[in-house]
Amino acid sequence: MDNVASHEDWKSCFSEVAPGLLLFARQWVQSAADAEDVVQEAFVKFWRRNHNIENRALLYAAVRSIALDFIRRDRRRARREASAFAEAEPAMEPQFEWEDETQSALAAAVGSLPHDQREVLVLKIWNELTFNEIAGALGISQNTAASRYRYALANLKKSLQPQ
Amino acid sequence: MNDFSELENELRNLRPARPSPILFERVEEALMDSGAGASPARQPRKPSGLPYNWLSFGIGLAAAAVLVLFAAISMERRHERGEKIAQISPAPETSAISPARRDGSGVQGSTSSNRFIPAGATQVVYNTRDEGLQFARGSEQPLRRLRYQTHQTWQWRNPTTGASLRVSYPSEEVVLIPVSGQ
Repeated sequence: MDNVASHEDWKSCFSEVAPGLLLFARQWVQSAADAEDVVQEAFVKFWRRNHNIENRALLYAAVRSIALDFIRRDRRRARREASAFAEAEPAMEPQFEWEDETQSALAAAVGSLPHDQREVLVLKIWNELTFNEIAGALGISQNTAASRYRYALANLKKSLQPQ
Repeated sequence: MNDFSELENELRNLRPARPSPILFERVEEALMDSGAGASPARQPRKPSGLPYNWLSFGIGLAAAAVLVLFAAISMERRHERGEKIAQISPAPETSAISPARRDGSGVQGSTSSNRFIPAGATQVVYNTRDEGLQFARGSEQPLRRLRYQTHQTWQWRNPTTGASLRVSYPSEEVVLIPVSGQ
């Protein structure tokens, strides 16, 4: 993701940020279809308001906010996902395109991370946000974002080590 | 963070799933409905970017040019008025001289540039006639009666302009001189 602001229209911009946005949306919604609904609503809302596209933190904050609203609108779904978070966090598995078993294992390890660490990892690795932008999108401090990222990597490394 | 660089590279090689083509169509329809298909960074600038700035600059420049033009016209009018005053001002002073010459009373009322000072006076006696002795009324001593015929000339000069004024006229004077008895 070079400079998103240099794109001429929404299509080139959206095609570049859409995979990361969908992955980020799936931190809260289980199905890919629901994640696309969230991303569509957030991106259109963001584009209509003519936000500066360089301020990516606003776009990701919008995805997060709409995803939470999406959950609230369907209480049964919200309760189900809340119970899923509480009982088994790996239940929300990000959707990746892996080529071999190594990548499949890596994707599974990412899905098994705690929720707060995983959303920072998703924003940092697959959306290339800075810690400052992550802090703005999630409403946390920059140090908290950085520490969660380091914990996520440490947990991944630990889980991928051969037993 | 160097301990995690290899892990970070492996994570970056893991690509997220691509969105479905339907998502692009849905977003496009939603944006078309709202009329917000243009780039957010460019949309506010396109209609009002350069033209607006140049329009403001042009209006300001035109206003400044009008002000300069009015100032120039005003200064030119003042200058012309000042020249007219300068040209007109000597005229009353000059005209004031003429009546002074005619009635002899305008010299004092003139300005310093029109002021004439006495330059000289001459009295030439060209004839003296003794008209004999006579006794004045009530006087026991005789008086000799002399009649002088003279020509008097008075002269004034204006030190500012260098103009001169000369008046000459004939005069006759009778003088009674007492004659002492010897």
